[in-house]
Amino acid sequence: MIITVTPNPAVDKIYWVDQLKMARETQDEFLTRARRSDTSAGGKGVNMSIFLSRLGVENVAMGFVGGHVGHVVVRDLRDEGVTTNFVWVNGETRTNVIVLEHGHEYVPIMINEPGPAISTEEVARFLRRYKRMLNRATWVILAGSLPPGVDGDMYRVLASMAREAGARVVISAERDALARGLLAAPYIIKPDIRVTPVVDNHPIGTRSEIIDAGKKIVADGTGIVIVSHEVTGDIAITADGVWEIHAPAKTTEFKNFVGADDVLLAGIVHMLNKGERLEDALRFGMAAGMISAESEAKICSDIDRIEKHMETISINKL
Amino acid sequence: MKVRDIMTKDLTSCEKDVSIRELIFILDSAGVPNMPIVDEEDKVIGFISEKDIIRACLPGYFDMLHTASFIPDMNQISKKLEQISNDPVSKYMQKDMVVVSEDDDDLQAAEIIIRKNIKNLPVVDKYGRLVGQVKRIDLLRHLV
Repeated sequence: MIITVTPNPAVDKIYWVDQLKMARETQDEFLTRARRSDTSAGGKGVNMSIFLSRLGVENVAMGFVGGHVGHVVVRDLRDEGVTTNFVWVNGETRTNVIVLEHGHEYVPIMINEPGPAISTEEVARFLRRYKRMLNRATWVILAGSLPPGVDGDMYRVLASMAREAGARVVISAERDALARGLLAAPYIIKPDIRVTPVVDNHPIGTRSEIIDAGKKIVADGTGIVIVSHEVTGDIAITADGVWEIHAPAKTTEFKNFVGADDVLLAGIVHMLNKGERLEDALRFGMAAGMISAESEAKICSDIDRIEKHMETISINKL
Repeated sequence: MKVRDIMTKDLTSCEKDVSIRELIFILDSAGVPNMPIVDEEDKVIGFISEKDIIRACLPGYFDMLHTASFIPDMNQISKKLEQISNDPVSKYMQKDMVVVSEDDDDLQAAEIIIRKNIKNLPVVDKYGRLVGQVKRIDLLRHLV
């Protein structure tokens, strides 16, 4: 069973607009009318759970939810066939706003709320429930930001517990949460470099920096390091070598790449979970991510399109 | 149709040492009327509902009466609830609860829900671990 943990889930509110009216620039136009909008459960682990479920992979989504928005998250996941196991908290789950302007969909405007403050009692309640779930876990995916009140050491603790229970651990996070998670030697990490292109104090801005940092992290015990180099390219580093994965896609053709990175990682986990080779997993993951980015829907799981797209993905072992 | 095809796949539950106060918070937040109680391996060992908590706050002879008019006001119940709020749920949970397997037929689940007049029925896997619940609304949604 695959368990996803999203400590700070959200409802993603996406607006498609013809032109975003910026009052600061136009001086007179304040109102932007959305052509259409979409509301769906979000957060890195939640997105992965939905993608996996659409592929028919049984999985359980865990984390903290609260208030009216929390109910939307849980309901959406259940409608997608995901098993939910969230701890209810006092605060309100966050809403993240994404604005996609016609012709500029590849540079979305994203506003993420910090999320509700989580108390130590709520964390303790989660840990008990998480420990129980580990009895059934083969993979544990720890994904996304940590909400206020949750110790930065959370992913290290959860990863250590999962490894002890015999599960493979994947961490998709940023900064301190990821750096500390590395101490538990996870199986896969995918740094979130949307804000800071740094992993564990190693800069990962250029290709050579990514490879150098990846090799150091692998030497310290992590199995696979996957880093997005360009929007349409990734680099994977393991003890066996370094792979460069590239999709021949134009970012200007992206319609909505919110969640595409999560689809990419979930695709890789799905294939490795099936016992496929790493190269095939990377190819599938990249194809799934690209198809998602090229679709208006936040998460596209059209398996025919993904498999067709796989033929265009190039993978070179460096 | 099997139970697995109609159940709500939610694992919201609590351990036997969780306090009544905490249970009320979870029931209220999750918007559910009852809760399976599980052990360290997620095996269902009990069941507690809002009704069980209310019953624990009423005098023992309440069931024999036809009216609640002898209770002067809600303060009595409020005081009793305050007294038991730190008690573990294990003290008030139903231990002889009924569960169904995810492989059982939907009709079997429907019969139990109707006969026992319950809103939710815990669903377990072959190891007795919680995998979801069948709600009355699940049955209705399925039938519609």
